[in-house]
Amino acid sequence: MITMMAPLIMALAPGMEPTRDPVARAIDKAISGANPAFAREASGPCDDLAFLRRVSLDLIGRTPTVAEARAFASAGGAKRADAVERLLSHPDFNWYWAQVLDTWWMERRPSKNVETSLWMAYLRESLEASKPVDILISEIVSADGVDPAQRGRARFLLDREMEPVLVTRDISRLFLGANLQCAQCHDHPRIEGYKQEHFHGLMAYLNRAYLFDDPKLKKKVIGEKADGDVTFQSVFDPKKVTKKRAPGLPGASERADPMVSKEQLYVSAPSKEVRGVPKYSRRLLLGEDLKGAGREALARNMANRLWAQLTGKGLIHPLDQIHPHNPASCETLMESLTSSVISAKFDLKAMLRGIALSEAYQRSSVGKPGIKGAEERFLAARLRPLSPEQMGYSMLVATGFDDAEAGAAPKALQAKREGAGKMFISALAPPAGNPDMFEPRLEQSLLMSNHPQVQSLLASRKGNLAFRLAAAKDAEAVAEELYLAMFCRLPDADEKADVAKALQGADKPTAIADLIWALISSAEFRFIS
Amino acid sequence: MTQEKPKPPEKPKAEAPPPPSPIAGFQLGALKPSAELKHGSPLVACRFDPSGKWIITASQDNALQRWSLADSKKTDMAGHSSWVRAMAFSTGGETLYSGGYDGTIIAWPLDAGQPEPIRQARAHDGWIRSMAFHGGKLLSGGNDGKVCLRNAATLAEERQWLAHDCHVYQVAFSPDGGKILSADHKGRVKVWEPDGKLVREFPIPGLHKYDTSFRADIGGVRSWSFSPDGPLVACAGITNVSNAFAGVGNPLIVIADWNAGKVVRELKPKEAFQGTMWGVAWNKAGFITGAAGGNGGMLWFWKPDQANEMFAHKLPENARDMSQSADGGKIAVAYQGGTVRVYPLAG
Amino acid sequence: MGVVRLCGSPEHAMSRRAVLGALGAGAFTGGALANPLAMQNKRVLMIFLAGGVSQLETWDPKPGAPTGGPFRAIPTSVPGTHVCELLPCTAGQIHRLALVRGINTAEDDHGKGSYIMHTGRRQEPSVNYPHLGSLVAKMVAAPENPLPGYLHVEPGGSGGSSSADAAFLGPKFGSVSISDGKPPANIDLPGTLTSGRDDMRHAMRRKADSRFLASRNTAETEAYTQTHEQARQMIAKKKLFDTANEPGKLGDSYGRHDFGRHCLLARRLLEGGAPFVKVTHTNYDTHHENFDFHIERMGEFDRTFATLIEDLHQRGMLSSTLVLVVSEFGRTPNINRNYGRDHWSKAWSIALGGQGVVGGAVVGKTNATGTAVVDRQVNAGHLFATYFRALGLDPAKKHYIDQRPIPMTDPAGSAIGEILA
Repeated sequence: MITMMAPLIMALAPGMEPTRDPVARAIDKAISGANPAFAREASGPCDDLAFLRRVSLDLIGRTPTVAEARAFASAGGAKRADAVERLLSHPDFNWYWAQVLDTWWMERRPSKNVETSLWMAYLRESLEASKPVDILISEIVSADGVDPAQRGRARFLLDREMEPVLVTRDISRLFLGANLQCAQCHDHPRIEGYKQEHFHGLMAYLNRAYLFDDPKLKKKVIGEKADGDVTFQSVFDPKKVTKKRAPGLPGASERADPMVSKEQLYVSAPSKEVRGVPKYSRRLLLGEDLKGAGREALARNMANRLWAQLTGKGLIHPLDQIHPHNPASCETLMESLTSSVISAKFDLKAMLRGIALSEAYQRSSVGKPGIKGAEERFLAARLRPLSPEQMGYSMLVATGFDDAEAGAAPKALQAKREGAGKMFISALAPPAGNPDMFEPRLEQSLLMSNHPQVQSLLASRKGNLAFRLAAAKDAEAVAEELYLAMFCRLPDADEKADVAKALQGADKPTAIADLIWALISSAEFRFIS
Repeated sequence: MTQEKPKPPEKPKAEAPPPPSPIAGFQLGALKPSAELKHGSPLVACRFDPSGKWIITASQDNALQRWSLADSKKTDMAGHSSWVRAMAFSTGGETLYSGGYDGTIIAWPLDAGQPEPIRQARAHDGWIRSMAFHGGKLLSGGNDGKVCLRNAATLAEERQWLAHDCHVYQVAFSPDGGKILSADHKGRVKVWEPDGKLVREFPIPGLHKYDTSFRADIGGVRSWSFSPDGPLVACAGITNVSNAFAGVGNPLIVIADWNAGKVVRELKPKEAFQGTMWGVAWNKAGFITGAAGGNGGMLWFWKPDQANEMFAHKLPENARDMSQSADGGKIAVAYQGGTVRVYPLAG
Repeated sequence: MGVVRLCGSPEHAMSRRAVLGALGAGAFTGGALANPLAMQNKRVLMIFLAGGVSQLETWDPKPGAPTGGPFRAIPTSVPGTHVCELLPCTAGQIHRLALVRGINTAEDDHGKGSYIMHTGRRQEPSVNYPHLGSLVAKMVAAPENPLPGYLHVEPGGSGGSSSADAAFLGPKFGSVSISDGKPPANIDLPGTLTSGRDDMRHAMRRKADSRFLASRNTAETEAYTQTHEQARQMIAKKKLFDTANEPGKLGDSYGRHDFGRHCLLARRLLEGGAPFVKVTHTNYDTHHENFDFHIERMGEFDRTFATLIEDLHQRGMLSSTLVLVVSEFGRTPNINRNYGRDHWSKAWSIALGGQGVVGGAVVGKTNATGTAVVDRQVNAGHLFATYFRALGLDPAKKHYIDQRPIPMTDPAGSAIGEILA
């Protein structure tokens, strides 16, 4: 938690709730400070229900239920801040954010050596304990998979088979925001900041580690040798000079190995039967160095990823191209968010709270007339597609899946939702090993149009949306319930008239199914506005 | 310079005596070629003529070679425009009939100084893979699925019928001459009356597979040989195919009772060998010889009532065909490298 | 421990996301985006003989040579041009085809050879190139084209779409697999849903979209709403997949085997508006029994392909359809000990015809045993420049990604003018 208090000095945009949250205030100060015409050009806040939909999707991974929407609409006081607090402590927060971290870091790789459920449990427990993200990352890169109680955290390394090049690439890409893969064979030809020595300095932490099939544990674990240096040549160097690199983060100094006599090298020397454990582990240094010399880079990457997650695009884009020649779209904001991460001690919730409470986050997605590049300059919210998880779970929740399971304990409900959402999520997800991206495809639309599981969402089941719509007293009530459920807003007069017309045209259950389908397939459902 | 002590003369190493042969009058445990006849092009087929005077080979240069077993003299015989794998002889061996992948049958005067085609017939649309002679009739089978019966003297066609829905790999007259047998790419055997009426058909499942990854049929009866008394036929080919296009499979001989239409026994090499059984011969002394090529070459001798062989011999290279002399005393193996080797068995 | 070289991986340097980001930011510029050909109904049919077809058993026979194998050469509809006897029907269509007999792609690996023949480039660490199908989908297809731009009819297959094939062109231009000739999954409307009701629910969806997007239209929302329309059109066109509808005689002529059905489907798809259809015929990787397997394979290919060319001609489609018969490489002239032929990329052949191609032309020559090209050697760069010219496209036109110019075809290869109409 951030304890620093900031005075209320900034003029609030009309309709915005005042906030003392230092992260939020720093965000808005950085944005308005970068644009002299800010007050004239910035859009106003989105309406309350649009905010609720947006923030529910971002914090708990789904659209609000009708009951949540109605409660929010009728609430008073600082209701946006209250909603943020309610969602941050909602049982679905840790459930959903464990999935976000999983897709960030595992990129939907299939389980190879570690059961996914153990890894997900580790992420969830870490979130429940409000574990700082730098410590979480440090634990992940230091894990060896030996202790059954700590097996889950080893999935990052073990499901990449502890392959040093792959692990080096992904640690640099996912934790440091620097895709060094082009710098494996030569200094990056177009990015001055990415040097070959950076890649190899990072790999030097890891190249002594290896995948060990432990005959006693009957499991793959990580062993490490006490020797093995990283050497490299540039493919561009005609003289083919071989260079050696000791462990060191990009831009930081090298860590020399201590002088140890041969007899003193190992806690347990590696053999066919025995996992190698050196007295001096280069790999364990990495976790320490990331929290130390790497703190700034770790914070910048976390700030950038969180901003991208909640607004649709990183301040530095692409997310893994953080280097001096790829400036942030708003440098002061990038600096401010980075220092917020550090002063918040890598507290995920503090950062999410701060972003959600900022005016920038809460602005309408409709730009002011004549303002160009409003989204790029944070003058209007970016229209962004739902992630596969957000879409899958929202299809369920909007059509009343949760309502029909009324009374189920949160964990049981989450498990059911996960089971039912699986098919949708995998149909929307990119191939394993790739970061999420929005890729609308023909077969997704065919699935949406014709798959029986989609059809089943449209059919009446006690308590679900179709059931409630069938029982609604008149067309207006149908329209209200339908629009609240699907879009988290009330219908306008034209929309009410269209619903009434649709209900006259066919038998009621058919008309209801078609109405739900039309809205669930529409862009307003597929995007966060 | 020091003078080397003269070495004491080495005792001639006592060669291990060949294992006793369970077949009286045959020495199958050791195998040494009595002749190595080298042609310049890879061979695809070989046959002893019935008189025992000649061995005929066919090669990838579309030619036939007649080799004198007496003096190893080669006479080239050109006439086909493709490879030849099918050969048959008139009863006394005066005439050789060769059937080519060009669909043509050529009759040759085998004992002439330089045999030239005396007659030829366009017999099949596609490859001729097998021929047989009996009682003045010549039988052939080809890729067009047909079995043809013709007058051997004139090569005039007397009867032909669509016998199979895929390539015909083997044809034969039954040993008593009363029936016609044919076998195909998919390992199916059919028994016919001489007038082309189907008597029965039965599959040899071990000799065919449809490779689903390459989407291709692999197998077929590559060679066959009747039991001396006639009711059984030993069919050779490839089995256990895991990759049709790399030839990953094992040689197999299947003994079938063609009157009952059923498989009697499979003869397999003890040690796994990758390849195809290209030749099989049933010896009247009561053993079966099989020759394979693939990952090298092998030769095995089986007793017909035992699944595993009595003897196995590694051959110097890939075998592509095998022939047994009329008296059963020799076999010849045609090799991919262009050599045919003659191996005496009796002794 | 073996070091994995990321440089050799297709994911190197230009990730899908970076490229799409660039697309979104408008970095992808240039006239290449325009589809001047859209109105002219040009299209491409690519027949891919997977595994590496033997040039000696098809377009460049060497009867009588030690490498020639058992097959003879036969005359064709073009005096003086011979093909292998395994192509008796196709021999009658040679006046509508051009043969390129001097190809040297210098790559004997299946994956890499296939990449070369699909993209016109060798694999490079710095960039992943799009398939010809994706290029055609982008540059030749009309935007309102009712079918996905790059359809791939294949035995087996995923039945899904592959955005990787499109590389930097974007996922919309990736291939859509028509697995075993079956339509994409979920093509049938639910039993209870009439097409009238489907029209109605889509009308409601469109109305909701037009309200919502009136003030917020983006490239992403457009792509999303577009896929719904594509799906509808695909559903409407699903009868195209019903090859059983063809008159019995024509169906017989194409052949009642997979390849016959798939080629008939390809013709129906092209006729129905598809700009690029690839049909895979598998498999030709005949390291063992090359001749027997080529009899079987060519037995399917020959009659089907000749029927297809004749059918396209009869329907007046051939002159606007560029037809390609390609493979990842050829096969060794040397016959191995198992009657097989192995991989050979140094001297092999393809056939092409239709749109922009001179029928009956033969270019390139190999030596007497077929082991080397002795005249007019070309590689995949030349072939792609030729395809582009045949389609009326400029092979030298550049794509720009992150300000980096990428020529549409390998600048080292010029078009083979001798076979261009």
